[in-house]
Amino acid sequence: MALLTLASPSRAAALPRWLGLEGLVIGGAIAALVVLVVLPVLSLVAASVWDKGLTGSFFATALGSTANLRALGNSLILGAWTGLISIVIGVPLAWAVSRTNVPAKGLIQLTATLSYLSPPFLTAIAFVNLFSPNAGVANVFLREVVGLDVTFNIFTMSGLVFVTVLHTFPFVYLLASSALQSVDASYEEAAQILGASKLRTALSITLPLVAPAVLSGTLLAFVNAIALFGSQAIIGLPGRVVTLPTRIYALFDYPPQYGVASALSLLFIAITVIALYLQRAFLARRSYVTLAGKGARPQLMDLGGWRWALFALCVVAFVVAILLPYGTLIAVSFSKSWGLAFWQNLTLENYRFILIDYDVTRRAILNSLMLATIAATFCVFLGAIISWIDIRTRLPGRKLLDYAALIPLGLPGIVMAVALLQFWLKMPVALYGTFAILLLAYVGRYVPLGVRAANSSLRQIDPSLEEAAQILGASWGTRMKEITLPLIRPGLFAGWLLVFVPVIQELSASILLFSSESITLAVAVYNLYETGYTEPVAALAIVNMIIIAVAIGIARHFGGSRIGLKTGG
Amino acid sequence: MATIQINNLSKFYGSKEGGAAVSGLNLDIRDNQFVTLLGPSGCGKTTTLRLIAGYITPDAGTIRVGDRVVSSADGVAPPDRRGMGMVFQNYAVWPHKTVFENVVFGLRLRKVPAEAARRKVLDMLAMVNLAGLEDRLPSELSGGQQQRVALARSLVVEPGILLLDEPLSNLDAKLREKMRTELKQLQRRTGITFVYVTHDQAEALALSDQIAVMHGGELQQYGSPDDVYRRPANKIVADFMGIVNFLPGTVEAGPNGLAVAVDGVAVPAPVHGTLAAGQPVDLAVRPESVRLAVGEAGTGRLAATVTDMTYLGNLVEYWLQLESGTALRAQTHPLERFSVGDRVNLSIDAADCSVFPRAGAAH
Ligand SMILES: Nc1ncnc2c1ncn2[C@@H]1O[C@H](COP(=O)(O)OP(=O)(O)O)[C@@H](O)[C@H]1O
Ligand SMILES: [Mg+2]
Repeated sequence: MALLTLASPSRAAALPRWLGLEGLVIGGAIAALVVLVVLPVLSLVAASVWDKGLTGSFFATALGSTANLRALGNSLILGAWTGLISIVIGVPLAWAVSRTNVPAKGLIQLTATLSYLSPPFLTAIAFVNLFSPNAGVANVFLREVVGLDVTFNIFTMSGLVFVTVLHTFPFVYLLASSALQSVDASYEEAAQILGASKLRTALSITLPLVAPAVLSGTLLAFVNAIALFGSQAIIGLPGRVVTLPTRIYALFDYPPQYGVASALSLLFIAITVIALYLQRAFLARRSYVTLAGKGARPQLMDLGGWRWALFALCVVAFVVAILLPYGTLIAVSFSKSWGLAFWQNLTLENYRFILIDYDVTRRAILNSLMLATIAATFCVFLGAIISWIDIRTRLPGRKLLDYAALIPLGLPGIVMAVALLQFWLKMPVALYGTFAILLLAYVGRYVPLGVRAANSSLRQIDPSLEEAAQILGASWGTRMKEITLPLIRPGLFAGWLLVFVPVIQELSASILLFSSESITLAVAVYNLYETGYTEPVAALAIVNMIIIAVAIGIARHFGGSRIGLKTGG
Repeated sequence: MATIQINNLSKFYGSKEGGAAVSGLNLDIRDNQFVTLLGPSGCGKTTTLRLIAGYITPDAGTIRVGDRVVSSADGVAPPDRRGMGMVFQNYAVWPHKTVFENVVFGLRLRKVPAEAARRKVLDMLAMVNLAGLEDRLPSELSGGQQQRVALARSLVVEPGILLLDEPLSNLDAKLREKMRTELKQLQRRTGITFVYVTHDQAEALALSDQIAVMHGGELQQYGSPDDVYRRPANKIVADFMGIVNFLPGTVEAGPNGLAVAVDGVAVPAPVHGTLAAGQPVDLAVRPESVRLAVGEAGTGRLAATVTDMTYLGNLVEYWLQLESGTALRAQTHPLERFSVGDRVNLSIDAADCSVFPRAGAAH
């Protein structure tokens, strides 16, 4: 019988596993993670306890001085309030979109997406234009036109929480809504047929199924909120609300206090690691291998007249989070001089200035575009490999690898920059002021987003899909190329976008690492803002958002696979 | 040479105590055979199959394919170098590839020229009744059709060994029946060695040349369908292979050697050589081995009362109670009718019974 002629795939003789493509790729990913994250963090640890000998004095100062303690306290307050309010806003919106017949779901989705994408320091600048106590246009309007004797002061902790929440509630919203959508109606129907009321079902079936996602989103919101340097510098510093990132930044005023800054940074890392540990503990309780080809069918609730009340809430969210800041920035960007009467002399001069006349902003835009593209691509592939190792292999220490990949999530950019500086200054390669060190900072800092995106996609894919290819004779490389990567492609493009967007607007690491050659978009914005160029700053902000919009378009174009289109995702 | 020889195979999850998914498994699978791993859920069938495929490394023992050791505790030849085929319980049809792309995948890996590959795929799709659906995506197929795609995908590369993990368990009864017949024909036609996993004993009996009955990670019996059904090696196998009555009795010496006394009536069942007269035993009796007649018992017949009956269409099932109180199930042809409350007498086809020492009884 000729049956056996095809039986063995024609492949080269087996190499030892560690020498094959699989081994090389895995080894490369581990090495990259070590250089990007582990070694810089270790050099941070060294700097915090070493001053020509072992010393505890840096930690003593970090925990002993009122200024440092106040910064620590402010950061925790900021993070806690931000996390809490992110739940209050994110969960109802997620529920409305995934489980009810509320109208205009697209608007909510748009609000959440744009809020996440908006650079927090640009939102901050927008609200400063509106609510700074003296010159803020909204305050001027209230005082001079309406005649009320009230003044909103954005330069406070409340102002800071407000601006930060606009950026962080989408974390809760996105995780909660995707969890709610993946709960198949049959679970809830099973409870209802047993006599459980709608409320009882929601509390005993739906809530436990989505609670890990909500908590996970909240912790991400917390961790992100406390790491934002830009908004904390722009809103916090004028109101003397000093937080950890701005405090550490201040420690670099001449003479720089590397040791204390490192010690404070480590405390910061500790807070982050605890938050992330909790997050993972929640998620680890259940396994999410739910999707083996068939999609879930969520149960929709008919709200009757109440849907219009819910709709009104969504509109308010849209107005406050999107319309107000963007309207303001657009208005400012076309003004000769920002004020109540700005519409009397509109101009394109600001755009001309930043795009053509001023070589610094011109260069900054190109630099950021290039850096963000490269960094996002790196992060996504590194993330895919690392989460693949975590989920699909039994490699000893793979959990450690996963944790290492998550550490940067809580490294404020400024800390990442300090760590990189200290590490690379000791190395025999001159990286300071180059594109390379910015790239290292970006990839290191945002690799967790790449891991996360790949991780959640990979978990959706039953391992048998890879195994089926393997037994047909597909090598590791072929399996990745033919099965795994195409299946997680929508997730990878989402991850790419998730990295590209923050890198385009990255400020807190760049501000220590840039040189006049490698200046980036956000640094240019910050420098212009500091020197009082209100109107060109707004124009640059709008350019920033246009770049992000184009990037989304591109990612959508390539990311939409046949599956993605079918499920409407 | 698609023989599989499994020696002393063990796989532990977690602690070694009680954590054995498979332990001390010995199995000899000959060429061109349809071998079924049968047992209740969690008994280690999938683990065994995945050990054979090479997805997991055994903790002890070896697996040989032909004369080559492919798995041992020291290492395994990876699945992609074994030239086996596998059909997964959840189909594992790639959702991003069309039916054609799914099936042609293995041929592309084997560098079969495009035109020849195309012909092979279309032939194979026709064979599994999927002709005309080659451009569909899996999401546009029914469960049964996806199952066939999975089958076609593994068969088109003509593997020497095909592993199937409960391939029919997600299909409805009618389709399952149909696919069962097709699978059997397919196996006969291709001569591929099938290792088939199921928890459905009827399926195993209908399909297999040899059945390996597993329980708690251990092999209980390995034999032909007739063997495992009519001559179960132990009570676990007897119980798992279908409805069975365990009638308490005692071994006694009779005129034609040892027999089993039940309710004072000697049943000349085949008594194992290790059992001695006087020993308490359970007599395993299938419901269809019980014959009923009206009236009081004569010699060699047991007296009983009908306590319940169920009409099954082709059969009628009776619940009976012996004098001693022991309950018993019997199945008869629908032409013989008895009513609840009837006094009946019954005889047992002793040759089809098995005798097991009673658990917990002293020797
Ligand atoms: N990856 C695993 N980790 C831990 N335990 C496992 C794993 N796979 C299987 N088991 C355990 O091994 C036993 C046998 O499982 P399995 O081979 O899947 O059974 P079957 O296929 O017969 O239902 C079960 O008790 C199961 O819980
Ligand atoms: Mg199984």
